[in-house]
Amino acid sequence: MRRLSHVSIVALAAFAVAVRAPAAAAVDDHAHAIAALADVRATIGEIVHIEDGNAVGHGAYLRAAHRALNALVGRRDDGYVPSFGDPGDRIGALGHIDIMLDVEGTSRWTPALEGAKANALAAAENLQTATGEREMEDYQADLTHALANLALVIGRASQDGVFGGISGALANTELGVPLGATSVSGCGLPARTPAYGVVSGMLAYVALPRASASSGLPQDLSIARVVVRGNDVVLYTSAAADAASACRAPHHRREAMRRRREHTARILAVAGGTTLPPLFTAKQAHAGAAVYAAACIQCHGADLQGSAGPSVAGNDFLTTAKTNHWHVSDLRTTVVENMPFSDPGSLTPTQYANVLAFLLASNCYPSGTTPFPTTDRPTYASLPLGPHAAPSGVAPRAKTGTCPVK
Amino acid sequence: MLPRTRSYVLALTAAVAVVALIAAPRVRADSAWPGPDAYTGASGDSANWVLPAHDYSGNRYIAKSDIGPDNVAKLTKVWSTKVDARGPLETSPIVWNGTMYVTSSHNDVYALDAKTGAVKWHFPYKPHVIAFSANRGVAIGDGKVYEATLDGHLIALNAQTGKPVWNVVAAHDTTNTFFTMQPVPYKTMLILGASNGDWGGVGYISAFDAKTGARIWDWKTIPGPGEPGHSSWSGDSWKRGGGAVWSGVAIDPASDTLYVDAGNPQPDFLGTIRKGSNLYTNSMVALDISGAKPTVKWYHQFIPHDTHDWDPAMPPVLFDATVGGASRKLVAAGDKGGNFWVLDAGTGSVVYHVAVSTQKGQNTEPDRAGDIACPNTNGGVEFNGGSYMPETNAFYVPSVDQCGLWKSQGTASYIAGQFYLGGGFPSLYGPSTGYMQAIDMATGKFVWRKHLAFPQIGGALSMSTGVVFTGGVNGDFTAYDAKTGSVLWHYPTNMTIQAPPSSYALDGKQYVAIAAGPAGVNFADPRFGKGAPTLEGTYKTPPTAMITAFSLP
Repeated sequence: MRRLSHVSIVALAAFAVAVRAPAAAAVDDHAHAIAALADVRATIGEIVHIEDGNAVGHGAYLRAAHRALNALVGRRDDGYVPSFGDPGDRIGALGHIDIMLDVEGTSRWTPALEGAKANALAAAENLQTATGEREMEDYQADLTHALANLALVIGRASQDGVFGGISGALANTELGVPLGATSVSGCGLPARTPAYGVVSGMLAYVALPRASASSGLPQDLSIARVVVRGNDVVLYTSAAADAASACRAPHHRREAMRRRREHTARILAVAGGTTLPPLFTAKQAHAGAAVYAAACIQCHGADLQGSAGPSVAGNDFLTTAKTNHWHVSDLRTTVVENMPFSDPGSLTPTQYANVLAFLLASNCYPSGTTPFPTTDRPTYASLPLGPHAAPSGVAPRAKTGTCPVK
Repeated sequence: MLPRTRSYVLALTAAVAVVALIAAPRVRADSAWPGPDAYTGASGDSANWVLPAHDYSGNRYIAKSDIGPDNVAKLTKVWSTKVDARGPLETSPIVWNGTMYVTSSHNDVYALDAKTGAVKWHFPYKPHVIAFSANRGVAIGDGKVYEATLDGHLIALNAQTGKPVWNVVAAHDTTNTFFTMQPVPYKTMLILGASNGDWGGVGYISAFDAKTGARIWDWKTIPGPGEPGHSSWSGDSWKRGGGAVWSGVAIDPASDTLYVDAGNPQPDFLGTIRKGSNLYTNSMVALDISGAKPTVKWYHQFIPHDTHDWDPAMPPVLFDATVGGASRKLVAAGDKGGNFWVLDAGTGSVVYHVAVSTQKGQNTEPDRAGDIACPNTNGGVEFNGGSYMPETNAFYVPSVDQCGLWKSQGTASYIAGQFYLGGGFPSLYGPSTGYMQAIDMATGKFVWRKHLAFPQIGGALSMSTGVVFTGGVNGDFTAYDAKTGSVLWHYPTNMTIQAPPSSYALDGKQYVAIAAGPAGVNFADPRFGKGAPTLEGTYKTPPTAMITAFSLP
């Protein structure tokens, strides 16, 4: 008896492991880094513009500080005031940095981004203070401090430590490798170009065909040395020397392989479709089916393919979600704020959470042990929706691509 | 004949005679397809229905009719043909030489024998739906049938076989733009407005080459930097300002003037982030389309800085009426805010403004707590509009009487392919009823007005004999006495009528046709035909969609 119960515990544990999806969502960190830089530059642009311009009146200055703050912190932050407009994107520089840092373990780029985050938070505080100033002298002092801190957020491409900032991380670590680009071991030279040489998370070089070397240069690259090799040009980064010594170390091959495997998995996960972590329970999805039947079915149909309204699950929905770059947050916002169409906001928070669980399950996303919450989560903005493989043991319907909810 | 209409009727008779001389040989030839002559002569052609609202004036009026107040009670169903029922039917049938062309909500096109209803061909289509499935019908010309689709395409089909001839992407941004409007053929062009005004786009109306589908011009409804009217938008709010062109247009071919209505501003329910009057949203614009690019002749904004999605849904109607003893060239409009407007067609100045629905709380912007305003978003004068009858000098227009509870969210975020509203659509608050009314164009006052149990959105078709047809969302297709408002005849389709009636004649017999189908997103009414499926896919009441034709025995 005792032995049997051990076996069943082992079996349960194995099952739990099998249904558990990867802990971290597949995200394109490189794109987040580029977007974060753009947001920081937009923040600086607002400050420089108001300082250089001939704006008249208290309001124009406060507006500039608000706009700069908006671009820096993103729409989910309490400091964000939409009425002033936003020269950045909706995630904001700090949002992008948080997403890049929100992975298990540390990466080679972690110290640089943590430095960038600390300086961005300081700049945000300067800007927040500026929005409440009454005297021009104080306002200008706040903005000067903000500019100094923002310069450190951008950092230096020649450094990959805490002073490197976002530029340093992009120039010297594998964060500089764009999604879908070829990444090879930086201990040797690539058979084909273009390719990025990576050693232990460091970006050692970028190898490009000579013909495209002038136009195909990656963004924010710091070039320490240039070597022409046949029809290729190899651009060595500031991290090349450190990378070379890592290559001489005994563990470098194993480390390089591990990094490469992780990176490939990340690329495959995004290119081949998204795999969300479990966001809801099967019980919730089941309860959500009843909500759907009562409040949604009239316009979206029994097969979820739409009638008077659009499809909400399956191939058509997921393809559109990918084209339009929808995330879990967009799905949640649309359902909670605009639906049911004829009576928005009329469901209870629990009903909204349940129907969202039903929609995710119908879209073949895996269920887990944690219920879908009744409030928004910042991470939902970085969980993209799109075509993906169904969880094992679940067969999507051939005609529509929706998954049955039991 | 009333003395006040004499000058108009004489002028009309003269005009019809001239047109008949030009158009008659082409109209009679069985092999010929309608061209520019048939389009401009459509007002005198009672046998065919070649343009969305019968002719370029946009007036659904039949000058030569056998159906009148004395015999309309004998009107009987001749045929009914089922079409795809995945959404509401809003099609305005096009009839040419005995063939009727209609569409379903998901862009299926059908060619029907206008005498029997038999399907000659069927073109199925599976578009991606952004938000609403709806289509208002096809255009015909040059041996082709033209349809604009829910996935932003403009398609030409062979009119005899239904096989595609060409297919172009006509929307600039297919993530937030689709087409519901019926293309309007004019000269060698197809004129088409874009539906993107609740999804974060900027409205435009375009002209395409009818032979190839190539774009000829676009006219954007929101003025950009440096253009007149741009200062009516605060900051860069104009960039997602809305102003979709949903409805039909009227054209004065003599002056190459296009009368077009631009829809509501965006975000629909959040005005604080788009301060100003927000031109040319909720406006009628008269465009000179004689040149390479349209130019604005005049505009009239019905509701400046709208925060309730009260766009002028009614297609413009151009007509000559007797006002103050003199004939005037006028253009009528109606908005979802419950206003019926008559403007001077030459200047855009207001001649009449009549409230045709309950109006309340119109100047209060929705807030987070919510506020009640009337009409509801789908209230007032809807997208099929009304009709002018010269014999009575009256305008016949149905309306919806509802109130709504609005809530603004205080913010609006743009998500490609989703609503950009700054709040949810309002919830119905209180009763849901409708009106059918006749308005005297000599005075701007009601001649008669009927309060009805259901919203009326089916548009009006008037006939010179003194009958007016319209349909309600309860599915009743009704004929009224134009002078008194008495109900002379009605037929229960048992579906929802959201399409306009049309009339045609074959072998000396006059027919009246109407499309009826599921309620759709906007007009589901718990009192009538639920038609919702269960999750197992079975229906309590299976949805049906039908085109039905009636005639005298």
